[in-house]
Amino acid sequence: MMRKSALLVGGAVASGLAAAVLSGFTGATTQQGPSAPAAPNAPPAYTIAAGDSAFLKGPKQPILFRHDIHAGQYQITCQYCHYSVGYSSEPGIPSMQTCMGCHLIIAGADSSNQKEISKLRDAWNAKQPVEWVRIHYVARHVHFPHQRHVKGMGPNACATCHGDVARMPQVWEVNDVNNMGWCINCHLERKVNRDCTACHY
Amino acid sequence: MSDNDQKSVSRRRFLSVLGTTSAGAAVLSGCSTEKVEKLIPYLVQSEDQVPGVATWYASTCTECSAGCGLHVRTREGRAVKLEGNPDHPVNAGKLCARGQAGLQGLYNPGRVKGPMRKSGGTWSEITWDDAIALLAQQLGAAGAGLAVLSGAPRGSFTGFLADWTATSGGRLVRWEPFDQTALRLASKRIFGRDEVPAHDFAKAKYIVSFGADFLDTWGPTVEHQRGFAESHGFSRDGGMAKHVYFAPRASLTGLNADEWHAIRPGSEALLALAMAGVLLVERGIAAPEGAPSVSVEQAAEATGLKAEEIVRLAKELAAARPSLAVAGGIGSQHAGAVELCAAVLLLNYAAGSIGETLLFGSDLDRGDGQAAFTALQQAMEGGQVKFLLVHEANPVYATPKAGKFAEALAKVPFKVSTSLYVDETSSQCDLILPGLHALERWDDANPRAGVWGLMQPVMEPVYPNRHPGDVLLAASQKAGGAFVKFNAASWEAYLKARWAARPRPTAMDAATFWRESLARGGVYAPYGASPVKGVVAGAVSTEPPAIEGTGDFTLVPYASSLLYDGRGTNKPWLLETPDPVTKITWHAWVELHPDAAAKLDVKEGEILRVTSAHGSIEAPAYIYPGLRPDVVAVPMGFGHTEYGEYAKDRGANYLDLLGPASGEFVSYLGTKVTVERLPQAYRKVAKTEGNSRQLGRGIAEAMPLAFAAKGLTVEEAAKAAGHPRHEINTEAEVEALQGWRDGQVGREDGEGRRLGNYAGEHPMWGMTIDLGKCTGCSACSTACYAENNIPWVGEDQVQLGRELSWIRIERYWEGGTDGEPIEARFVPMPCQHCDNAPCEPVCPVYAAYHTPDGLNGQVYNRCVGTRYCANNCPYKVRYFNWHAYARKAFVAPLELQLNPDVVVRGRGVMEKCTFCVHRIRGAQHTAKVTDAPIKDGELTTACAQACPSGAIVFGDLNDPNSRVRQVAQDPRGYHILEDINVRPAITYLAKVVHREPAHAAPGGEEQH
Repeated sequence: MMRKSALLVGGAVASGLAAAVLSGFTGATTQQGPSAPAAPNAPPAYTIAAGDSAFLKGPKQPILFRHDIHAGQYQITCQYCHYSVGYSSEPGIPSMQTCMGCHLIIAGADSSNQKEISKLRDAWNAKQPVEWVRIHYVARHVHFPHQRHVKGMGPNACATCHGDVARMPQVWEVNDVNNMGWCINCHLERKVNRDCTACHY
Repeated sequence: MSDNDQKSVSRRRFLSVLGTTSAGAAVLSGCSTEKVEKLIPYLVQSEDQVPGVATWYASTCTECSAGCGLHVRTREGRAVKLEGNPDHPVNAGKLCARGQAGLQGLYNPGRVKGPMRKSGGTWSEITWDDAIALLAQQLGAAGAGLAVLSGAPRGSFTGFLADWTATSGGRLVRWEPFDQTALRLASKRIFGRDEVPAHDFAKAKYIVSFGADFLDTWGPTVEHQRGFAESHGFSRDGGMAKHVYFAPRASLTGLNADEWHAIRPGSEALLALAMAGVLLVERGIAAPEGAPSVSVEQAAEATGLKAEEIVRLAKELAAARPSLAVAGGIGSQHAGAVELCAAVLLLNYAAGSIGETLLFGSDLDRGDGQAAFTALQQAMEGGQVKFLLVHEANPVYATPKAGKFAEALAKVPFKVSTSLYVDETSSQCDLILPGLHALERWDDANPRAGVWGLMQPVMEPVYPNRHPGDVLLAASQKAGGAFVKFNAASWEAYLKARWAARPRPTAMDAATFWRESLARGGVYAPYGASPVKGVVAGAVSTEPPAIEGTGDFTLVPYASSLLYDGRGTNKPWLLETPDPVTKITWHAWVELHPDAAAKLDVKEGEILRVTSAHGSIEAPAYIYPGLRPDVVAVPMGFGHTEYGEYAKDRGANYLDLLGPASGEFVSYLGTKVTVERLPQAYRKVAKTEGNSRQLGRGIAEAMPLAFAAKGLTVEEAAKAAGHPRHEINTEAEVEALQGWRDGQVGREDGEGRRLGNYAGEHPMWGMTIDLGKCTGCSACSTACYAENNIPWVGEDQVQLGRELSWIRIERYWEGGTDGEPIEARFVPMPCQHCDNAPCEPVCPVYAAYHTPDGLNGQVYNRCVGTRYCANNCPYKVRYFNWHAYARKAFVAPLELQLNPDVVVRGRGVMEKCTFCVHRIRGAQHTAKVTDAPIKDGELTTACAQACPSGAIVFGDLNDPNSRVRQVAQDPRGYHILEDINVRPAITYLAKVVHREPAHAAPGGEEQH
């Protein structure tokens, strides 16, 4: 009958959606390929074949920018690119010129990397900035001061909220930064300012 | 999912269910329904822009010819706020309301986006290259028929224009409607100095103004306000200057006078000469040769004052040295304006002010004057002008219609305008080559000797328009011939070359000098005040001026302190900020004295038709006690027929009533009019005033100078004067309030720390407002609009009382009845940030609460719009977004002005003054990150920053060394509505007056 099959299909799709959504919500830690090695300066334990990034967590970016190579293997400090995080509310996103500073010369170690870097160079030559997909988003009625948190949380400040980005091939949102309860928990633990107008004004 | 309606599930229903599930799932996962955001980096990062951090540039304001210096705050490449440049000698870091609104000129939706050409009566866009080619072609044909009419303040560009027009034997006329020609001609006549003297209000102990509105529209008002605050603002050791104002209408300046005398229009010269006579006798000096002698009785008859009053005032003037007499404003610009100014200069001479407070040698510039303008118009009518370039001037609007400038303009075969907007003049031109706003261009300004302010582009131009200098340079090269000598590569290069030729410190090279000057905002050198030799006193006539026409009333037009000469009417902030005197927004009006209104049976809002020999206007009536009964007053600035959607249909232009300029100037105060009430015609006046009387509530307190000098508090002063401070509380109420207060005692901790300031270790933000210094100019209000993204609501909403100004200027009348003189008291009223705030306990969702550092916080995202907080606020300083005002108020490109540090509120949310909490938090972040505590004075609110009088002081009350704490302990300090025990964080300092403050004293004796 029309009605029953329609309901069945509807139900299946709905529960499939629910499963997908719920798994994302709880931050399920299903493995996504072997993890990067712990020792610095070692080459990454795996390459990602060109175009084969579907297994990675996080939104797909126009260029597969690998934090695990830049921040992990080469240990480039976060503030080299996210330059204003120490003195501004905004962390800053690197300009294309910052990327080209190295990639004018560095073409990539393997074919996958070469493919991505050539995308970067094409964008630079065409004067079209890369449109990165935003991952960490705090509602606009909240004023989040990066500089206070970086100053207050010491050398490992970035990873505390953003996770171990240095081991992420593709960045994904480890903590829901738009969840006020999460912010408040940390403020409670560390006994710092809980006044509303610290962020809501 | 309802399963009680349909029996079968249709496909449509199934899909809608699916849609609900997905949306629900989206909500569950914490994502919003907003679309995915992109982060787009720069290709090449600009060196001087850091995201989230403001970059400041120095520039110069061009909203009038005063030439105040600016510090422009830019964020991410957009100018978002204008403040004064503290190094600039004219404004010393302050900025008036007109200056603040400059941003709305930059981002005005009515800006012309590209060159436009008129052919066959319709406008079409053309390219810059075509426009320049056309210009060059016309230039070649013009020859000596070239003329430029510029309103621009004097600077390198007007210097360029002078050279440029001289090349082919053409002419340059620099003109603005409010030049000070009468004063200049008088100076020439009396002292042989063809210049406008500078006035030092800071030094004067006695100021007499003959209709010159030096605080709101006459001359460099910000500088005058600062000086006035210094001399007239009360201090225990400095005393207080006295200000007397003689004019048929009390303007804002008049309302800030200690005595306003409503003299007959045209009688000022006789009064000044009579006073001069008394002064000379008092001081024992001989009258200068040829000086006309006017007896006090003569003056009394002419002015309508009593002879004893004139003698008293003259003697006071003689005793207070140095003094200053001021004349030359629009409100007294009648046919005898030169005589008036000459008489006042003689008065200054008699008082010994020349060289003390009235200074020559400053070379104050206000253009070439009306005579040059008239000559140009005659040349246009005679067909001698073949090519007219109009730059920063709108004479079709700003001159009387009877002067027929529009007809003269039509006779010019080729007319070009560089206006940024389509105004009445540019709409009549053949070509509009839109220029750049002051904030987008390289330029300079030379308002007086020694002061050269620079302008630099603080951002990319909003539209790809060009500086007229660049256009003329390109056209010159194309035109060839004699013009080929203007071969600078660009206007910027020309300007730099001019600056390279300026005198500079010997060890410095041109490039360093340029960079340092840019950072400082210009070069500022004091001018050498040059002494005056000799006075030709015989050149003053004692004939009263003719005021033409018939009618019962004399028309007193006046410059609007916000709209100025009409140039501000396209800026919604200036339309929404209430006129400081009448508190009317968005439309024109006609002022009538209460007695005249009673005689004509006119009530407020009824439409009046005012008719002169030259035309008539219609506008709603406003009853104003600050007038002579035989006078009607109309503000300038309305009646635009072009100039953008904000400016059109805003009422009548009083210039329609005036006759043409005769020779040296337009007689603004030059015609009699008849006034009739139109039957059945009414327009509710969109004003923001509630009840203009205090009704004994003790809101705006004042005390006589004698008491203030003794250091009496407001309570003591009231007792000494013999009447109670608050008259509304019955005994039962007083008891109840005392009980309330006693009940609060237990809520403080043992050390008496203030309520709401948890633990005491936080700063306690507070403010003081000195009512003795506040002039009511409303610069603070406009600055607050700019800083806090406050939307303008429009006329119909203002009529409903829904204007959103977080700080408003309340104006209360005292006296004015039973023969008592009228007194105005201005009270800036922001959120009082009460310790014991009545708005906080009533919020059901804790959106209104008290922060540990003493602020009354408002959390927009929690607010659900019950409006109980505004209901409970005794000061009514909470404002509700009844509609989505932000949608209309920030239409492109106005949204570029929005301050990114402040949230834009949506519909249904309550907002109010936050003590600029974003500035406080920003300063606290910087202090933590740099390990440098906030220094007192570094952090201030937008209103305190803008106030030209320095009436508002903000800071940390918990800091024992802060200025705000010192000022808050002044004996004149009090809280408004203190009795209800809300404990505001704002301390007001009572106004100090030179005589017993006027108010009805039940059972009290008037003391003098």
